[in-house]
Amino acid sequence: MTENIHNTQQNIYKPAIMKIVGRHDEAPGVKTMRLEFQDATDHQFFKETFRTGMFGLYGVYGEGESTFCVASPETRKDYIECTFRQSGRVTSALANADIGDLITFRGPYGNRFPIEEFHGKNLLFISGGIALPPTRSVIWSCLDQREKFGKVTIVYGARTVADLVYKHELEEWQERSDVDLVLTVDPGGESPDWKNRIGFVPTVLEEAAPSPDNCIAIICGPPIMIKFTLISLKKLGFDESNVYTTLENRMKCGLGKCGRCNVGSIYVCKEGPVFTAAEVSRMPAADL
Amino acid sequence: MTKILFSDKLDKCVERWKSAGFTVIGPVQRANISTYAAVEHAAELEFGHVLPDRSIKDLFFPQSEPMLRYTIKKESIDTSECLPPSGPRIIFGARPCDASGMAIDDPLFGWDYKDEYWFQRRNESVIVTIACTKSDDFCMCTSLKMSPDSTKGSDILLRPLENNKGWQVEELTGRGREAFKTIADILQESSEQVAPLAIVEKKFDLDACVAWLQNPEHFESRFWKEISMRCIGCASCTYLCPTCHCFDIQDEGDTYTGIRRKNWDSCSFALFTMHTSGHNPRSTQSARWRQRIMHKFNYFPGKFSVNSCSGCGRCSRQCPVDMGITETLQEISKLSQ
Amino acid sequence: MSIEKQYRTRAKELLSGGAVKMVIGYGKGTTANRRRPLFISSPDDVERLLLDDACITNLSGYLVSEGLLSDEKRVAVFLRPEGIRAINVLAAESQLDADQIVIFGFDVDGNEVKALKGIHVEEFSDVIGSSKEGAPEAIEEALFERIEKMSPQERFSFWQEEFAKCIKCYACRQACPMCYCRRCIVDSNQPQWVNTSSHSLGNFEWNIVRAFHLSGRCVECGNCDRACPVNIPLRLINHRMAEEVLGAFDHFAGMSKTQEPVLASFKKDDSETFIL
Repeated sequence: MTENIHNTQQNIYKPAIMKIVGRHDEAPGVKTMRLEFQDATDHQFFKETFRTGMFGLYGVYGEGESTFCVASPETRKDYIECTFRQSGRVTSALANADIGDLITFRGPYGNRFPIEEFHGKNLLFISGGIALPPTRSVIWSCLDQREKFGKVTIVYGARTVADLVYKHELEEWQERSDVDLVLTVDPGGESPDWKNRIGFVPTVLEEAAPSPDNCIAIICGPPIMIKFTLISLKKLGFDESNVYTTLENRMKCGLGKCGRCNVGSIYVCKEGPVFTAAEVSRMPAADL
Repeated sequence: MTKILFSDKLDKCVERWKSAGFTVIGPVQRANISTYAAVEHAAELEFGHVLPDRSIKDLFFPQSEPMLRYTIKKESIDTSECLPPSGPRIIFGARPCDASGMAIDDPLFGWDYKDEYWFQRRNESVIVTIACTKSDDFCMCTSLKMSPDSTKGSDILLRPLENNKGWQVEELTGRGREAFKTIADILQESSEQVAPLAIVEKKFDLDACVAWLQNPEHFESRFWKEISMRCIGCASCTYLCPTCHCFDIQDEGDTYTGIRRKNWDSCSFALFTMHTSGHNPRSTQSARWRQRIMHKFNYFPGKFSVNSCSGCGRCSRQCPVDMGITETLQEISKLSQ
Repeated sequence: MSIEKQYRTRAKELLSGGAVKMVIGYGKGTTANRRRPLFISSPDDVERLLLDDACITNLSGYLVSEGLLSDEKRVAVFLRPEGIRAINVLAAESQLDADQIVIFGFDVDGNEVKALKGIHVEEFSDVIGSSKEGAPEAIEEALFERIEKMSPQERFSFWQEEFAKCIKCYACRQACPMCYCRRCIVDSNQPQWVNTSSHSLGNFEWNIVRAFHLSGRCVECGNCDRACPVNIPLRLINHRMAEEVLGAFDHFAGMSKTQEPVLASFKKDDSETFIL
């Protein structure tokens, strides 16, 4: 697996201060924020170390920290974008923060998608619901260097039309001639004027039947979606070592010390969050 | 002829160390418990226990530690570090299992990211370990391939004399030698008989246990439920353990200022791995007990080449329901037969 | 036949006949004077059950472990009078169906173990009645007296020193049959009612909150006191609260399975003019 780029900041628990420069409501309860570094050294460090797939701990002093991916690509490092669902104490505090407010960011942590190993290959992105953000980081990292990659197919679905995130970017991808976007909602989740597919992501994936030849698949989604998508990918002839996914777990330190995020012997914060499906199949399923 | 520190001279040593700027810490009996605390005089030190109830872990990784102070202003946020109080310390009277426990955790706290709070304290402490001449039914250092006179993690090893009048001094590290230079004239060259070490029976076959744990087929064995039925899910074992290191990060303060703290946490707690979504990868006590054993004897050694256990036995000694690592490993030893 | 043998025979009968799915009792511990909770599901294992004066832990807390009683089968459990009272409290608070519990009652007088007659919790009202009459045996009688004689400042210093030892391991909570909340108040973070840190404030908050939450519910089994790895004399606090509740409301926890919780019920003729 790709090596871990680790941070050599002075105090490993001290976060960088970020200013919220943009906010967008993606879906009910789901927001995207665009953040800018307030300290040049922190920003420089981020520019030197961030690669797509890495995550951070976003926080509000007094409330705590919460773990999400960095949803912006490694080709655009002037800011950080993150997308999250308001679900608990910290995410509520983040959701209530305004443009101009300051929050904290610790990271980037974890390993990354080795996208330079994907040069010359076809890319198949599969995602569901609020798991599009980590995939989106990889998608833009590739689209920003489009000539290095082969065919790009994106299969994305959500429960309902309202739950689709990055709606404007979905339109952009749909319009591009060099991207094949397969968009779907669960049966019953379509709106009256819905012109795209209807069906669960694994089903729609099998219908689209992308070829496994010279193709890397990247899946991000809830565990149940990943499980069934992997079955579909196997049916389509994909090999587990060419399928990448991300895992998440409850985290506090994000740097391998608090002992919380391991699945079997693998610490998601240090040896992940990016894994091949082959690696995930070797992890004890009972610890997931 | 060896260097001897006679116990009637210990108070002079304490004075000497204090004048040299050291804080002297040792085992004391306070409020119905034996623990490690700073002392002014040697008379406060209590060496009679097999080992104190609390370990020296508290001196390097306190149960609640302020890390950062934050102040939220109109246009900015100030963050300042709350590093541990600086100043050299002599920990006089650690047990070999405690000292080795600290050495076991060094690679974890230094795994790529260096935890300053741990290392500042480690670098400023001289650990003077007293070898064990007594043990009880719960000691299991020998099962972990250590011994009542292990030197791992210690700067000085003291061997109790048979006549109980003092200790034979073994200097192990540069740091230890420096600290004992300050009392060089108090030490005496003498030939004294050293007391025999405690006899600690081996309680389980560690290698067989580790091999059993490494086998992925045993991850979902019924054994885990059976062995952990009586576990009540408290954190006694993990908190008293010299090597357990899990922690939580909590902010305490008001709207404008506060402290971000690092607090002990335990994999035995039901909510330890609970996701906000409500999914809990370890939702049963047996899954949590399995995690504890796997982490100590499979995952940790896999990464750091050393088991996360020093054999002190506090987990078994203190468990409210008489559980502990020993019984589990004894049963696994039997299963591996 | 000794009580131990009698109860082993009884356990064997109940298990072989399928009357109970499990017997929760005491077994050999790591050392000669330790007993550990034992869970027997097969009649062949009853010889492992021990019963003597070293059997002290209150086992009733295991009855509310998640899922144990959800199959509606019966479970037998060895209980002292405090444990039997605990069943009443748990039943009164709707945490278990007392009909599912088969009681192997016993008490210890000096070194002697005597059996308490009865199967279901309703049959033990005499035993519970005499518990209420007699002074509950305080393990640290002398210490309790000493604290009672202290001035408020002295008491505060005493408890400050004791709580300074607290490491928030929650062994007291986990060992207590009455602390069954799936999400304890300390686990709540919206808002964070009780500080989780084990500094002076956090320790006081936790121990005092727990003492209040147990007032009128604690059966003084001493599990918390014995579980505490840093030897805080927790039982004394709960004993004091039990005394207060008895004095103010004539309420003794665990009298019956329909007894109303003292701090959670309101009557028009309560001596207080408001709900508190």
